[in-house]
Amino acid sequence: MNLKIVFIDFLYNVRSWTRSRGTVFWSLLFPIMLILLFGAIFSGMGETTYTLYVQDLDQSENSTAFVGILNGTGVLTIEHVTTSDPISDYIREENIKNLLVIPKGYQSNITRSYIDPSVQVNLTYYFDPTEQQTNQILRTVISNVLSGVNMQISQGRPVIGVQEESTVTENFGFIDFFIPGMIGFTIMQQSIYGSIERNTKFRKDGILRKLLTTPITRSEWILAKMLFMLFLAFISTSVAIGVGILAFGIKVNITILTIVIVIATSFLFSGIGMIIGRFVKEEETADMAAGAISFPMMFLAGTFFAVDAMPAVIQVIAHALPLFYVNEGLRNAMIYMNQSEAVLNTGIVLVFAVIFFIAGVLLTKWKED
Amino acid sequence: MIQQKFKCPHCGEIASFYGNPGERMAVSCPACRSKGRITIPMAAKENHYAIEVSHLKKIYGDLIAVNDISFAVKTGEIFAFLGPNGAGKTTTVEMIEAIRTPTAGTIKLLGFDTKNGFNQVKERISILPQEFHSFERFTVRETLTYFSHLYKKRANIDEIIDMMDLRSHEKKLYRTLSGGLKQRLGVALSLVNDPEIVFLDEPTTGLDPKARREVWEVIANLRKRGKTVFLTTHYMEEAEHLADHIAIIHKGKIIAEGSLQELIERYGEKTTLFIKSCQSPDALQLLEEQGFEVHSQGNGDLTVKIDYKEKVLEVLAQLRHDCIEYDGVDIRRSNLEEVFLRLTGARLTEEAEP
Repeated sequence: MNLKIVFIDFLYNVRSWTRSRGTVFWSLLFPIMLILLFGAIFSGMGETTYTLYVQDLDQSENSTAFVGILNGTGVLTIEHVTTSDPISDYIREENIKNLLVIPKGYQSNITRSYIDPSVQVNLTYYFDPTEQQTNQILRTVISNVLSGVNMQISQGRPVIGVQEESTVTENFGFIDFFIPGMIGFTIMQQSIYGSIERNTKFRKDGILRKLLTTPITRSEWILAKMLFMLFLAFISTSVAIGVGILAFGIKVNITILTIVIVIATSFLFSGIGMIIGRFVKEEETADMAAGAISFPMMFLAGTFFAVDAMPAVIQVIAHALPLFYVNEGLRNAMIYMNQSEAVLNTGIVLVFAVIFFIAGVLLTKWKED
Repeated sequence: MIQQKFKCPHCGEIASFYGNPGERMAVSCPACRSKGRITIPMAAKENHYAIEVSHLKKIYGDLIAVNDISFAVKTGEIFAFLGPNGAGKTTTVEMIEAIRTPTAGTIKLLGFDTKNGFNQVKERISILPQEFHSFERFTVRETLTYFSHLYKKRANIDEIIDMMDLRSHEKKLYRTLSGGLKQRLGVALSLVNDPEIVFLDEPTTGLDPKARREVWEVIANLRKRGKTVFLTTHYMEEAEHLADHIAIIHKGKIIAEGSLQELIERYGEKTTLFIKSCQSPDALQLLEEQGFEVHSQGNGDLTVKIDYKEKVLEVLAQLRHDCIEYDGVDIRRSNLEEVFLRLTGARLTEEAEP
């Protein structure tokens, strides 16, 4: 193995890639556009009324009056929560983004505060920090209502306060769901089409025949290409995460599993691209074959929408698709911090990667029949 | 495996046969089909040949693409492998380049059997594949540098750029080059490792006449630099212009080979002398009586078939002797096209591969 040749081939690939505006667009700007577009559509931007879940543990005259004032602002739609389960479990299970808890003793403590000014009542506001715009509006509404109530009961002394709790590890927005899916989708597209170009176009152009008669070996050439595909995969992953953080404030955890999934995904779909390139000789037909494989996978494997919300038949199909495990693995590793699920998903992606990459390498031929 | 020429004792035909020094083998004369046995001399030097192909065969299902062909290419010569599309040229050259696996036969490059020893000659050969297109977003210099880095032995890139007259284009991207420049760069790429053998597969296909001439100049320069060039082409004039040795392949078999002169002498038509507007009606009879093959074209024009160019002077002397006047003469020699026509009964056209 001549690593110098591998490195030179890698460098020339990077240089060639940076000169192709179209490729750079589809690799980087297109995913950014999709993230911004879908993020804007599904992250609550532009809402005119906001849903606030309220759990009134006091069920008193005063607490009911307080909820009535909130409802009367016209900005909020109040949803009453009557669960007896721990509220954190309820928030996670029901995917609640904003919830206000009025504690038991709300009315009695307000009454006591007339005698003992040190007595205070604290409401708890659970919020999803990824929904910044919605949070800002809800905070303002709650704060204004509290100011009015405090003015009424104590001439402005803050008897009723609010403490905030983030739901970050248990409650996620669409953009948290979408960005890992977008990373998986982008790596899939880059790897499949990149492999096809190198196996079909280069064959048609005689480049593979030329290389076959030079000292570079097939293994060195494939290794160089894989280094380049990994380079692209990490670039696009970084860009997607960067846009997610800057535009939507997502919180991302880069773990070793995240890196392993990105690498395995690149190998997995490069292998699929090699297999297509082996059997489909015409460049245009190979592109169509790649589209026929990647586009249904993109929609069925939970890139844009949760597979759980799809019909049962689709869910069965989704569980047979490698991209599903890539998306789930990235979400569990990067966002949900669900390590056990992330390990399982990573393992499945690795198995897919090993099978498809080895098959791709074995099927990649420079020699003609 | 070496090439040895033998003269047929029956018809005088000179034919080439291939075998190992000292090998006694049964042969048949390609001209009169008489059979006999020959012995390849022991004294012949094996390393005289850069490429040696013996009993090469390639079969795809029912199709015999290459049918038991043998030939050898001398070191330092331009060897043209001529034939129509679909004749088996590219299949043959790609077997020699180890891109395709032969069904049968042996190939030696620089003395190494390509079946097991191809890696040992990779540094010493270079190819320009048919319809080659390089990396579109590399410049001319980058393309040359990229391919040169694949080899241990590297030629000076600047020298190649100057030799191929690519200096004013070295910073242009490959995709912006004209067809002629792309092919010139393709030939330049085949020099980055300073190879001993250069394979050029249809290097001028699709080029306009001017660009084709430019590439011819480049190929002719390779011979001056001592390279052995294996050129496949379906252009007669390309083989005539460049080749030291020509092998004509037709339907998977080599049907003739030799220098241009040898091929014409062996298979071409006689030289034709055109006599324009001959004033005497007796000229035809007079020349026939002298043993010439004469045909009247009407309006006094005569054509005289001549075996040797010296005979032209004899004809003209005869006409002067008999005081026969004419407006002028024209001489037309036979060419490869006629050789091909005579050998195959068809003109060399650009038919599709079967």
